[in-house]
Amino acid sequence: MSPTITVQQLSKTYQVPEREGGFGAAVRSFFKRKYKDVKAVQQVDFKIEQGEVVGFLGPNGAGKTTTLKMLSGLLHPTGGKAEVLGFTPWELRPDYLRSMTLVMGQRNRLSWDIPAADSFLLNQAIYRIPDDEYKKTYKELDELLELEPLMKKPVRNLSLGERMKCEIAAGLLHRPKVLFLDEPTIGLDITGQVRIREFLREYNKRTGATILLTSHYMADVTALCERIIIIHHGNLKYDGGISDLSKKIAPFKLIGMMLTEPDSHDLSKYGEPVQNEEDAAKKYIQVKAEDVTRVTSKLLADLPIHDITITDPPIEDVIEQAFNQ
Amino acid sequence: MHTLKLLSSFFKVNVQMSLAYRADTVVNILLNLMWLGWELLSLNIIFSNTTTLGGWGFAELIALLGVFRLVNTLMMALIWPNTEKFNQSIRDGSMDYTILQPVNSMFLVTFSRITVWRIWDLILAITLIVVGINMTGDTTTALHILTFILLATTGTIVIYSLWIVLIALTFWFTKFDNNVTILHALLDSGRYPATVYPVWLRVIVTFIVPIAVATTIPLQALRGDLNLGQVAIFFFVGVGSFIIASQVWKAGLKRYSGASS
Repeated sequence: MSPTITVQQLSKTYQVPEREGGFGAAVRSFFKRKYKDVKAVQQVDFKIEQGEVVGFLGPNGAGKTTTLKMLSGLLHPTGGKAEVLGFTPWELRPDYLRSMTLVMGQRNRLSWDIPAADSFLLNQAIYRIPDDEYKKTYKELDELLELEPLMKKPVRNLSLGERMKCEIAAGLLHRPKVLFLDEPTIGLDITGQVRIREFLREYNKRTGATILLTSHYMADVTALCERIIIIHHGNLKYDGGISDLSKKIAPFKLIGMMLTEPDSHDLSKYGEPVQNEEDAAKKYIQVKAEDVTRVTSKLLADLPIHDITITDPPIEDVIEQAFNQ
Repeated sequence: MHTLKLLSSFFKVNVQMSLAYRADTVVNILLNLMWLGWELLSLNIIFSNTTTLGGWGFAELIALLGVFRLVNTLMMALIWPNTEKFNQSIRDGSMDYTILQPVNSMFLVTFSRITVWRIWDLILAITLIVVGINMTGDTTTALHILTFILLATTGTIVIYSLWIVLIALTFWFTKFDNNVTILHALLDSGRYPATVYPVWLRVIVTFIVPIAVATTIPLQALRGDLNLGQVAIFFFVGVGSFIIASQVWKAGLKRYSGASS
């Protein structure tokens, strides 16, 4: 079976008007506008199989949203190919649009002034969902997201977290096979994030839907995705298992030590000292993975150590390291 | 069939939205009733003092007013609110969701907002047209009435197409909030038959601005002033303008997907 999503050499270059600051420059730019090419996505390749949940990571402006928009069909690429469920997304075939969804955390699809239930019914008509199927899907979504209490209030009276639940549900009423989620938890508090995360995991398990999501919250990604794709300055930096990431990008381990006189020892000769705000009582150093055993035994021999731990560096740090490469 | 179902869904949602704010709803109903009273009063004044205008008879003027009001209702009930929504959706990015729905985006942009209170205007317009046609008397044949209806529809489509082209321009200019103002300025000239204007203005009104197509020409058909060849030409102008508008819309969407980020 061919992969659900295939992306080959996908590229997108924007032309962005550019001018110096200041009044004179504004007037000059009115008559003669200069454009600059911005390469948002550069020859990106990847494949995603049916049922996979893939985290799409990168700093702001890395090209994540542009890629999602091309895959959902909103943007035409300037180069390369993409195929989702056998369709070329930007042809915008109704059959394609009925089998995918794009949920953007910062955009609203629900009407502000009426309860979400009414907007849901409009979606039912737009996506031609038969009544019995609609009821079934709604019941399932209600079970997972506890929508019922939210359905009767106008959307403008819902909290951000409640609204996001409704927005996501609205995007799933037609039972899409592919979900593109752009920052689905943005602005939510921890409980809200966890709810959405748990929902997505359960939804993926129940329906076998393929999910590609971007998020600024690393916890979203570590909780949901076994595989991540990292993109930076439009280039693909990493594509693989989340557990292999630290091996490949940052083959380091963290050694944490509890010392009798913490500040009287020079740790820099054993490895690179690292700050850890959460655990200030311990001293941390970062060493290469292959040196861990050697350095540990040396440390134990040289220093008055009460306690020692060896851990992988936090995923955030690893990814940041990937960005800086 | 599905289109009708969608339309009724849109209508329902818009009724729900109109009823969302109680005070606003009451004010709207009162305002619209007042407007209706004012319109009827002004009609009464016009007709008690005038029997002809620019060579047009009393009955024809009523029908013309009806057609004008029909176009006006289209403006008020659909074009205005949807332009507002369209401009807003370009700014806040919700246009993205419109494009990704499995329904023709031109259809969605046309009907997603409906000012439901304008239903009175629609009834008034149709009443005026029916009364006007009835008053024209025996000289009007069934064929005249048929061509009148055909050309009134055609004219409405021409105006609609003009609107689509105007809002599609937003895809190129990003900020083009004047699109409706322009259309409104153009449309207002259609309130009176094109023949009451000086020749130069008539040329503009008839050929450059197709408003006359929507109001005067159907009336000429009703009077039997047009032969079938002319009727056919105007009909094809309507079809043509719709095709052009759809193409401009498609090109605009393509432009949008090429440029937005």
